Amino acid sequence: MDITKWMKDNQTRLIAVIAVIILAPLVYSSVSYLVAVRNGPDKPFLEKPDAKYQDCVRDTAYMRIHHMDLLKEIREEFVRHGIRGEIRLRTCAECHTSRERFCNRCHETVNLNLDCFGCHYYPEPEAAVQQALQGGEEWIDESS
Amino acid sequence: MDRRKFLKRSGAVLAAGTSGALQLPVLTSCGTGSSAADRKSPLAGRKWGMVIDLNRCDPECTACLEACRKENNVAFHNDKRWDIHWIRKIRVKNPANSWEKTVPVLCNHCENPPCVQVCPVQATYKREDGIVIVDHHRCIGCRYCMVACPYNARYFNYKENPEWPNKDYPKRSHGVAESCNFCAHLVDQGKEPACVTACRKSGNRAITFGNLKDSNSEISRMIARAPTQRIREDLGTEPKVYYMGL
Repeated sequence: MDITKWMKDNQTRLIAVIAVIILAPLVYSSVSYLVAVRNGPDKPFLEKPDAKYQDCVRDTAYMRIHHMDLLKEIREEFVRHGIRGEIRLRTCAECHTSRERFCNRCHETVNLNLDCFGCHYYPEPEAAVQQALQGGEEWIDESS
Repeated sequence: MDRRKFLKRSGAVLAAGTSGALQLPVLTSCGTGSSAADRKSPLAGRKWGMVIDLNRCDPECTACLEACRKENNVAFHNDKRWDIHWIRKIRVKNPANSWEKTVPVLCNHCENPPCVQVCPVQATYKREDGIVIVDHHRCIGCRYCMVACPYNARYFNYKENPEWPNKDYPKRSHGVAESCNFCAHLVDQGKEPACVTACRKSGNRAITFGNLKDSNSEISRMIARAPTQRIREDLGTEPKVYYMGL
């Protein structure tokens, strides 16, 4: 069969098929984008701080955005200038008893690989681990 | 528009753009208020040094080595390629006569430290109190300091350290250089380094640690009273570890 003749006969159908092939990914991506914007990002469920928690070293809004700046600042002060302040990595552990369920939850969601705890010890009390294993955890929804 | 005018105007536009861009991080960064520069460093006014009396040091005793390992989580793989020694004992001999001694060698905390000079990222630095220390966060593991150190006091973490005896003190990760830091974390708390404590407790009281700037300190009086030597004084590194009876 002559291919040119066949193409001429089925011109409309051919155009429609090509149009679908081109447009389908565009439509799919815009729809999924709109859905994602509407739903918002997947927010991690973080562990509630320990019962003895009253106030964080800074307010929650600051800590959410700038905790790494604070950590870097105290690191700089301590390591380079020998100023041992009140805040240490240990201070976090007093209320946020599980690094696995507090730090890592969020960092895993945003695909951050931190290596703080390869060298620094984060005390994880046995009780918290047991509680996690039994599933008796209380969660705080960060999106609320 | 002539060339001169064009350059002037484009320069002005560029300058305005740059200043606008530079303001952005200043405005958005939310500092905690006080920076380290504002506060006075607590380290000033001191110069830590060490005197090791070799006449007292027992060649068989390893109290200081073990204490150091335990306190600072120094890696020991039982393989001399990877073992790290913040303080080690070497045997020195004089072939002309039968003179022989065992000398504990550690980072000499030089006043003019070669390791600090060669460090390309300023990870190694000398604190105001004279302690030469590595910021392991910043170390890139280039090992220039190991080459530069005339005392071979620098070691490299070729492997991750599986042991973690002292949880109060961090380990070092694979890929950074490290050396003795006079137990800076203990010294800052007003204690003395682990090797000194161990030597006093279970050794022969051979090591003395103190402030060289204070003329009334025990170490200053010892140096004034008895002849002391430092290793490779000819290099001009001005070490702060003094030896008696070397």
